[in-house]
Amino acid sequence: MDIWNQLMQGFATAGTPVNLLWAFVGCAMGTAVGVLPGIGPATAVAMLLPITAKVEATASMIFFAGIYYGAMYGGSTTSILLNTPGETASMVTAMEGNKMAKSGRAGAALATAAIGSFVAGTIATVLVTLFAPVVADFAVKLGPPEYFMLMLLAFTTVSAVLGQSTVRGLTALFVGLAAGLVGLDQITGQARYTGGVPELLDGVEIVLVAVGLFAVAEALHAVLFEGRVVETANKMSRVTMSASDWRRSIPAWLRGTAIGAPFGCIPAGGTEIPTFLSYATEKKLAKPEHRAEFGTRGAIEGVAGPEAANNATVTAALIPLLTLGIPTSNTTAILLGAFQNYGIQPGPQLFSSASALVWALIASLYIGNVMLLVLNLPLVGLWVKLLKVPKPQLYAGILIFATVGAYGMRQSAFDLFLLYAIGVLGLIMRRFSFPTAPVVVGMILGPLAEAQLRNAISIGEGSAMVFLQRPMSLTLLVVIVAVLVVPRWLKARRSAA
Amino acid sequence: MPSSSSPSHGLQTLVGLGVGLVGVGMALGALSIPSASGYAGVGPNFLPWVVAAALMLCGGFMVREARSGGFRNMEDAVGSDRPYWPGFVWMSAGLLANAALITTIGFILSCALCFVLAARGLRLAAGEDGGPRSWVTDTVTGLLIASPVYWMFTKFLAISLPGLTQSGWL
Repeated sequence: MDIWNQLMQGFATAGTPVNLLWAFVGCAMGTAVGVLPGIGPATAVAMLLPITAKVEATASMIFFAGIYYGAMYGGSTTSILLNTPGETASMVTAMEGNKMAKSGRAGAALATAAIGSFVAGTIATVLVTLFAPVVADFAVKLGPPEYFMLMLLAFTTVSAVLGQSTVRGLTALFVGLAAGLVGLDQITGQARYTGGVPELLDGVEIVLVAVGLFAVAEALHAVLFEGRVVETANKMSRVTMSASDWRRSIPAWLRGTAIGAPFGCIPAGGTEIPTFLSYATEKKLAKPEHRAEFGTRGAIEGVAGPEAANNATVTAALIPLLTLGIPTSNTTAILLGAFQNYGIQPGPQLFSSASALVWALIASLYIGNVMLLVLNLPLVGLWVKLLKVPKPQLYAGILIFATVGAYGMRQSAFDLFLLYAIGVLGLIMRRFSFPTAPVVVGMILGPLAEAQLRNAISIGEGSAMVFLQRPMSLTLLVVIVAVLVVPRWLKARRSAA
Repeated sequence: MPSSSSPSHGLQTLVGLGVGLVGVGMALGALSIPSASGYAGVGPNFLPWVVAAALMLCGGFMVREARSGGFRNMEDAVGSDRPYWPGFVWMSAGLLANAALITTIGFILSCALCFVLAARGLRLAAGEDGGPRSWVTDTVTGLLIASPVYWMFTKFLAISLPGLTQSGWL
């Protein structure tokens, strides 16, 4: 009953008119950035991080969370209606959604995506409500060696397992770790890599890195390479689902949620695997008469399942973020940065030290999902208009917001030069197919992992054996090795066979 | 993409070398960080050395990949293969002018200037001729975006952004 009472208190906090307004603005903004190409939830939250200096913690976390999952709803609209795949998470949606839209069923695809997102988001929020406190209770017992291993697991999966290339993923991770090193060492106060520049003593702001890598790099890429890319949009149709659409969607939503939620819970990150898994499952389970629609006319299960899996993963990813303080994606990494700006360190203590905030945040997830359903079903036509914003104005406008985020954080023009430099770096990374998530995760989680490592070794009285002597940390180490080795071994065996 | 041509492999080699160089730079920087490990056994210079070594190693691997058939598992590139450099110059000019001028001419004018220059680059990249009318449109649009943003952030959210005057409205 304890959880119930705390959740009700959370609703009381999240339900105040001001907080409802923040949630609404967050959801609306999230949908908008999800729909607009060239700007995603990570960029949007990063650009708005300066508000943490003035807006109260609960309100701004509700706001950021709204952007976070609002963008997932909006993203599917773009991938169904535009013939250019956006972010990887919605690529699967684009495969079938696009086919459906081409055969005049855009409305049904949009409807199943929005309702599926709502169903999955709500179920996953229930899971967060029930399990996050349990995980937090368990996590209190973990010491620095275990934390370090968990962070190492997150680093490994984000950089070496999820991306296209291990070497480029690791490079991106170490570039992020290098950026995280700049500034004062947390334990000894030793200045590192500041080069005598006073602005660098405070470290590199996460806003700069995120906005530079995503927004500025995106704009530079657009001007250099995408000038002649002609986007074609599919025709909208009435947003409605027939009885047969419902019959085919509901099981797909539930299966997608069941596949997606566990992937969000483990500190491994990435929506690619669950969405692809869900797609494969739906294709396999489809009735023969429907299976022919996959890849031809577009099968509704192929939109419903992956969309639900995507939302379930994204929502459940809040469990490792809130209870362990471990982000597994760009956006959760930046949300962690937002918590840090308030001097709050997500982790097992969060549920006791900032319980009002956490429960208001969880309650706002329920509220936000309802708001998003309304925003995305009857009002979808409004968002579709955003796709008509011409590119020059869109990207140039994004640069104005990038300036707000980069300058507003520290009021330093130096940061704007740095922003440009990071933008060029991001452009090179994009062109040579380096993933960006490891940079952001490495930069934010790096200093925390370093502190845990050093504390762990002090516990071991200077010996790294401490990682092998504790059962939990040894188990995690085995998991990390398995995650690194097993996929390669399977691949080698398959190619040998 | 197996279709990538040899000049891009040259660039890939450069990227690998660049990463290796960053590693060397990190190592040089790590030299000047005292170890001062105390009880911990690992001091503030431990992670810097790890990062430096890892970057040099990754750089080496990338050079090897580049020299033996190019980077593995490249994602399909979006857009054309040939970069449109004039557009890049316009946008860069916008961003750098913004950085240089924001404290002198204020957020609104500086951002509007950045908007105009960046939009110019993007228009030219898309093959528009960009006559005098588009200059006017872009200037007006830039001001129409920058001004409300400035007021919203400074008045409602109390985030300080530089103004041209002390009034807080311009």
